[in-house]
Amino acid sequence: MNALYERYRDSAAFYVIYILEAHPSDVWQMQSNVRDNVVFSSPRDIEERSGLAGTCVRKLGIKFPALVDGFENATERAYTGWPDRLYVIDAAGRVAYKSKPGPFGFLPAELEATLREQAESRSAARQ
Amino acid sequence: MVRRVVAGLVLVVLLGWAVLVAAVSWAMHQSPEQFGRFMAKMPGPAYLVLPFETLWMRARQGALRVGDEAPDFNLATVDKSARVRLSDLRGKPVVLVFGSYT
Repeated sequence: MNALYERYRDSAAFYVIYILEAHPSDVWQMQSNVRDNVVFSSPRDIEERSGLAGTCVRKLGIKFPALVDGFENATERAYTGWPDRLYVIDAAGRVAYKSKPGPFGFLPAELEATLREQAESRSAARQ
Repeated sequence: MVRRVVAGLVLVVLLGWAVLVAAVSWAMHQSPEQFGRFMAKMPGPAYLVLPFETLWMRARQGALRVGDEAPDFNLATVDKSARVRLSDLRGKPVVLVFGSYT
């Protein structure tokens, strides 16, 4: 996703929306996370969630800004974002691309196709 | 006789499978925490006999469709230095990457 950000940062805004953990150690631990030493229990409040979100952004080296969903998960629910998902919202505030639910549907190449279309239709509109 | 026993066994296996599929599909429609707790108890081999991905794609489809107005949000950045409201970002496409660390 960083590569896409570098390519399209001038024509689109990029945000991570940090939502509730997919595999916290107290709910559904994954062996792959244990191997990678990514073991965290569920944050107990918004402060802990923000803290873990910060760790996530640093460790994964995410270059674009991250927002933290509220503790009642309203944004996650509105977008069915858990465990991960990609969206493009067009310049008029409408959904232009919605990926299938992650992990299977998390396909940055699909998203890039939409970004390319958006950029082309904008430059066509200017001419 | 043997044929009947085999047919009975096949029926039992099929019924068991159907019950398993129904249970997992039900769990996928619950909240992420409830689903996570359910899956944590699921024995590993169950994945191999389940159409997990198909069920997941259907259960987590969500109500939003392409062309719909994007639900607005107003969320703090990780460092709490600012808040971002989606409706303030009109005029440029916005990419949203939902996810977590684990």
